[in-house]
Amino acid sequence: MNESSDLKQIVRMQNVVKTYRQGKVEVQAVNDVSLEIESGDFAVLCGPSGSGKTSILNMIGGLDVPTSGKLWVDDIDLSSLNNTELSEVRKNRIGFVFQAYNLIPVMTAFENAEFVLSLQGASKAECRERVMKILKAVGLEGLEHRRPDEMSGGQQQRVAIARAIVTNPAIVLADEPTANVDSHTAEALLDLMQQLNQEQGITFLFSSHDQHVIDRGRRIIQVQDGKVGADEKHN
Amino acid sequence: MITAFSIGFGIMLSVTFTGSGDYTYTNMIDMGASMGMGHVTVEPLGYHLKPTLDKRLTGTAKLQQQILALPGVSATSVRITGQAMYASARKSVGGAFIAIDPAFETPGNNLLLRSLVEGSLFSDKSGRGMVIGSKLAKKLHVKIGKKIVYTTTDAQGEIVSDIARVTGIFTTGIDMVDGMLALLPIGSVQQTLSYAPDQATLIAVLIKDQRHAELIRDEIAALPEAKDVAVLTWKKSQPDLAGVIAFDKAGNYISQFLVGLLIAVGILNTMLMSVLERKREFGVMMAVGMSPGTLFRLVMIESFWLAVVGLLLGIIITAPWYYFLYHTGIDLSGTVGSDFSYGGVLVDPVFKVRLFKESIEAILGGVFMLALLAGLYPAWRAGRIPPVESLKTI
Repeated sequence: MNESSDLKQIVRMQNVVKTYRQGKVEVQAVNDVSLEIESGDFAVLCGPSGSGKTSILNMIGGLDVPTSGKLWVDDIDLSSLNNTELSEVRKNRIGFVFQAYNLIPVMTAFENAEFVLSLQGASKAECRERVMKILKAVGLEGLEHRRPDEMSGGQQQRVAIARAIVTNPAIVLADEPTANVDSHTAEALLDLMQQLNQEQGITFLFSSHDQHVIDRGRRIIQVQDGKVGADEKHN
Repeated sequence: MITAFSIGFGIMLSVTFTGSGDYTYTNMIDMGASMGMGHVTVEPLGYHLKPTLDKRLTGTAKLQQQILALPGVSATSVRITGQAMYASARKSVGGAFIAIDPAFETPGNNLLLRSLVEGSLFSDKSGRGMVIGSKLAKKLHVKIGKKIVYTTTDAQGEIVSDIARVTGIFTTGIDMVDGMLALLPIGSVQQTLSYAPDQATLIAVLIKDQRHAELIRDEIAALPEAKDVAVLTWKKSQPDLAGVIAFDKAGNYISQFLVGLLIAVGILNTMLMSVLERKREFGVMMAVGMSPGTLFRLVMIESFWLAVVGLLLGIIITAPWYYFLYHTGIDLSGTVGSDFSYGGVLVDPVFKVRLFKESIEAILGGVFMLALLAGLYPAWRAGRIPPVESLKTI
């Protein structure tokens, strides 16, 4: 939907390396990855389990830090930030959709979405207005007072999507968002996210090896053994 | 809830320990004060270190009046204390005497008068009455109406004697007091010792609240008439009693510290478990933007409310217990006897409590602070949980 001249680089990775320690063994999960994600992208990091997709997503989301290399999100250099500064970036610029939904179990659908807005310091009235609008947009109108355990997996993932986009983030990172739902629900969730991408220009970056997700991606980035391989754009 | 109850029971234990101390120490100090020296003692310089009858106060009547006018002072007594040899028709025994002015002595401020078991105070019309301890009477083989000769040294260090008739016998229950002490009228003793009518060895000052002894000592010392005298609190004039109380207090503090430690460990355990159980929840909160500082505050707020609920429960469960111990108490006379003495004074065999305002503040404030302190580490841990690690626990 955007002309290439208007595109802004939301994510920029330069020679990023991530090494984990497992006991005495060092495991290189991400190996010299350079990557850009542009505004309005609907991109999928795909590859087998253990290929490094989630590690890349975690670093872009500020949940983890690179061992070496540079990483910018919305022009902020994440590799130089401390924990509190990283939490600021997550709060204001990044939305997360997790495989297991990760909703706060004691909060209702409304409260789960409202919680992240309240962290931004939004007023009660503003929270209410924006949350209700988003819940309606994700098809949860009338279910706002339900707790996660009173909703289906698909509904919970819609709440998670609402929570991810309610703060108008620069990018939504979705880690295997359809892995815990049936194929029918998966299609419905992908319809919703595609619609949000096309109508509201929200940038999505998925990590998945689910063919449903890969088929929907406008950009498919292959990840294998911690390295980025083929990077294809589709219309 | 279990932790809140443990805080509550901690308060109950602390109230019992502290309340018992506040009650017992006050009783012991008041009792000690009424045995002769008062809460504050005015005496000649050096008398405390070497109590000889050549050292004496002069102008006691005026000083006594000025002291009585001070706020917080309930009574004063001009007294002469000294050593004496008592001789009856059958036996001689060494002992001590307190010469008192009956006009200023009441059973309320004098333990020996409170403990009269036979006769009365100086009812002998000649002014030569004498009240003696029951064990001293037994040693001397005397009864009411019998004569005793007492021998002591006068103001010039000369040996002097006088005769007195036993008008009363007291039993305090303290062997040392009952076995060696006698009360004599100050007028006749002043004559015997060649003292002027306004001369004595001490002024015993009884005060309304023993906690203000230092304050009143300083006020007395600031009086113009108290220029060349020593003013001592009970801690100086009764060092044995002060030592016993200080030792007992130290034991009490150790007990309370251990109780506090148990409470703190309980709170720490509860809060830490609560944090670890919600690791994933906290991980999600941090993933969506909650800062480590905010998470720290969140857990501290939980500790705060745990402390508040614990305090309220503590007040609820302690109030009836305190009411019972304050009004009725637990009678321990079957175990310790009815004349149990400690530090040279009689101790009430009924276990009772009384809490001073500052003790209540210290207990509630202390437990509250303890609960908050015990929450610090779990709160710190919560803020340090890496979100990416917490999300792996899904």
